[in-house]
Amino acid sequence: MSWFNVRLILAREIRDQLRDRRTMFMIVVLPILLYPLLGVAFFQFSQFLEGRPARVLVVGRASLPEEPPLVEGNRFAPGLFKSPSRERLLEVHYSEDVMPGQEAGEPSVARMAVSQRDYEAALYFPPDFCRRLASFREAVRKGDVGLEVPRPVFLYTTANERSQLAFAGLLDVWQRWNNQFRRMNLAAVKLSEAIVAPIEPETIDVAEESGHGGAAAWSRVMPVLLLIWALTGAFYPAVDLCAGEKERGTLETLLCSPARRSEIVLGKLLTIMLFSGVTAVLNVVSMGLMGYLVLSRLPGFGPPPLDGALWLAVALVPISALFSALCLAIAAFARSTKEGQYYLMPLLLVTMLLAILPVASGMELTLGTSLIPVTGMVLLLRAAIEGNTWHALEYLVPVMAVTVAGCLMAIRWAVDQFNSESVLFRESERLELGLWLRHLVRDRQSTPTLAVAMFGGITILLLEFFLSFFVPRLAGLHEVVVLAVVTQLAVVAAPSLLLTVALTRSPRQTLLLRWPAWMTLPAAAALAVVLSPVVDALKNGVLHLYPMGAAVKEEVDRLSEAAGTATFWQVAVFFALLPAVCEELAFRGFLLSGLRQRGTKWRPIVASAVFFGLSHPIMQQSLVTMMVGVVLGLLAVQTRSILPGMVFHLTHNLVTIFWAHLAQVGAERWPMLGYLVRLGDAQGPRFPWPVVLAGGLVGLAILRWFHRLPLSVPVERRNNTGV
Amino acid sequence: MIQVRGLTKHYADAHFGRLVALDGVSFDAAPGQIYALLGPNGAGKTTALRILSTVLRPTAGSVTIQGLDVVTQSPEVRRRIGFMSANTAVYDRMTGWEMVEYFGRLHGLADDALRPRMEQIFARLKMEECRDRLGAKMSTGMKQKVSVARAIVHDPPVVIFDEATAGLDVLVARALLHTVAELREHGKCIVFSTHIMREVEKLCDRVAILHRGSLLAEGTLEELRDRHHERDLEELFFQLISRHDEAHPLAGGAGDRRRQETPCEGSR
Repeated sequence: MSWFNVRLILAREIRDQLRDRRTMFMIVVLPILLYPLLGVAFFQFSQFLEGRPARVLVVGRASLPEEPPLVEGNRFAPGLFKSPSRERLLEVHYSEDVMPGQEAGEPSVARMAVSQRDYEAALYFPPDFCRRLASFREAVRKGDVGLEVPRPVFLYTTANERSQLAFAGLLDVWQRWNNQFRRMNLAAVKLSEAIVAPIEPETIDVAEESGHGGAAAWSRVMPVLLLIWALTGAFYPAVDLCAGEKERGTLETLLCSPARRSEIVLGKLLTIMLFSGVTAVLNVVSMGLMGYLVLSRLPGFGPPPLDGALWLAVALVPISALFSALCLAIAAFARSTKEGQYYLMPLLLVTMLLAILPVASGMELTLGTSLIPVTGMVLLLRAAIEGNTWHALEYLVPVMAVTVAGCLMAIRWAVDQFNSESVLFRESERLELGLWLRHLVRDRQSTPTLAVAMFGGITILLLEFFLSFFVPRLAGLHEVVVLAVVTQLAVVAAPSLLLTVALTRSPRQTLLLRWPAWMTLPAAAALAVVLSPVVDALKNGVLHLYPMGAAVKEEVDRLSEAAGTATFWQVAVFFALLPAVCEELAFRGFLLSGLRQRGTKWRPIVASAVFFGLSHPIMQQSLVTMMVGVVLGLLAVQTRSILPGMVFHLTHNLVTIFWAHLAQVGAERWPMLGYLVRLGDAQGPRFPWPVVLAGGLVGLAILRWFHRLPLSVPVERRNNTGV
Repeated sequence: MIQVRGLTKHYADAHFGRLVALDGVSFDAAPGQIYALLGPNGAGKTTALRILSTVLRPTAGSVTIQGLDVVTQSPEVRRRIGFMSANTAVYDRMTGWEMVEYFGRLHGLADDALRPRMEQIFARLKMEECRDRLGAKMSTGMKQKVSVARAIVHDPPVVIFDEATAGLDVLVARALLHTVAELREHGKCIVFSTHIMREVEKLCDRVAILHRGSLLAEGTLEELRDRHHERDLEELFFQLISRHDEAHPLAGGAGDRRRQETPCEGSR
């Protein structure tokens, strides 16, 4: 790596971007001018923000008592509002005035007025309301408490938002009128108002002492803003520096220079990072300043805490690095700036979702959530801005580790993109569906193409997703078995087999239908057995990180209970053998063969494992299954056969079922197993750590043996890497 | 200087299956020589030159430049070549001087060597008016001059021109050909791709005629004329192409791309 070249490329790219008016507008001019202008506009237009008065129809005005007054002219009485400015928001009309032909006091008048949208809300007072109220008061004065209090009727409609707002306003007014009425009653019986006064607690905001008063609003907004603007700031330079350079034809000249691809990538990455960081800082500072000036009048809204700003500044470096690397890799794949913008939109959407979800759902910073990219960072910054510095520091390492790992992977991906001829010199291809489909059928290859494999994998996931909507609440074994059979045969196996037959020349080669070396079969079975404590430990670890929700747990328990009523052979066939055959054919046969058309050995294995994991409906189960999927993928690649994977899968399922069975029947029948596994735990059998460790070590030894078997290198990837 | 042996390049195409861009092409180019790759569009000229300039990797065969393999010793090869692509791409937001300086520095030239070299090139190519002009504001001729300057700033022994005169007016094309001839006088090995016969006749020492990835003929102009009993290069060119097309008709009507019946092994 020549740092001289990196510096040279960096300097050129920075100068290039600084001379680009569009980039400068987006990155510098917009934040400096936009938010102050928005602030000015806010004040200018604030007069229009005042709500239009809601029309409230009062039916039965004559029945209203004179004291305490509820209405005065076409307004409610002035003392019934939280602030005088709200008085004008409710405009009172009387049925006698607007509908002289109608019978005054008729409740249907009020109902019709609201349902026909002539009025946002209506108040109906029965004809004897005032008289009954007076009787009630008199009864109270005499000490008779058995009388029923007369009730008016409030009418509104949830079909209309203004009606709901008017209703909320009416309730507020009515509560205050009620208070006045209560005070009068107490005065009539010569009692102090204090006896019914609610106990008002004294409140202390401890955040004021630590300088974090009103920080809650900042903690929700600032991390999200920082992330979104860091991404947006990386977005435009990345498109210009990669897709734009391809489009303008200057990239090829640079590739012919002595600068290595890694140097080119690093130079561009640092440029994008710089602009991403500057954009985020300018936007967050400008928006924060304007937000504070405009909103500081609101209660519970303080200035942004200084240590929070420091946290934001520190977090900006890895955040910018992550987004810059992702944008660079995606933009490198695009052929033009237009295409680059299209490709980067999904990244923006996913980031927004990951950033906003924790704020919206009230997620807490835990070890599990800290390991979710972007979300973990948002939660960490939120905790830091709220003043929970120690809590934030506790999870700093996992959050940073995930962010840095994501960044490194994205950089690696970007370098690979710059090394890939197919990416660098893709020509503009028109999408001719007919021609493409003819090509798919006519020029079928022995194994599926990457596109066909991805299509198959996504089809399986979507079918499973849609199937879940049509599955009734499973009650018994019969339904559970039917679901297992339908899922495995129709959803998992059928799409893969159909695509294999239709779009490949060699189903045998695609599905890896060949006999492996015989030793691999018992070795695969042994591997499944020795790895079962490790898989169990992983499962427990995942459940510890991401505890199962109550509803999901209930569903799982119900399924387990239903499956528990089955005989051994039913369980073995429907829950062990069937998934082992169908899932191996789909994920290690069809999908992995297609994914191996491109990339190295491990990427297709990991990608097929991700699809395999996602095909399981419960997130915790998916994570563990992904890890098992990597082992299964390795077996398929190393042995060039589907059978060892099937044997592993079958054995793994049987062993899992066996441990679950053992947990039910207790250790009495198998006393020797008490040394290997602790039973009686509410969450199932638990393996002591020496057993997990020993299983892991033996498993690694067996995997190493598999790893040394002859590897089938797909010829398709030989020429993909550039010089 | 340049040795090409059995150069083959396959691409995978979403519509047409496997495309054979180059099919076992071999030739040699020596210092002080202009070697022409002559062929119609889609003949494989650009692919061959991209392999020579190390940005593409051959499917089979080998290419050495000054004894260095373009696949295994690509960084060393890139220091010894200057490449000028067909699309006269220059950076829109850099001046002519900045662009040439940038590539000079990337080639490791220090200030004391770079500045006199740039002054010399700018004077020789009459580039004064592009010195402080941004790429976006340059005429096609200016862009072409900057591209040439950029390709030769580090004084490489091998210079590759990919259809360098395509789209240029007569005056600019003539000036460019004059520059190419000058480079030959300085002992450079020049590979020059074109589909214009007159340029080959006027300028080139040896010619390789490519069509649909195959090398149809190779040698000096005189050798080709004697071998094929045809004095007119254009006529000779058409004869060779017609004969080749008759012998290898297209399967499947994929334009001038050859579709193979064998499964795809290329990754592109």
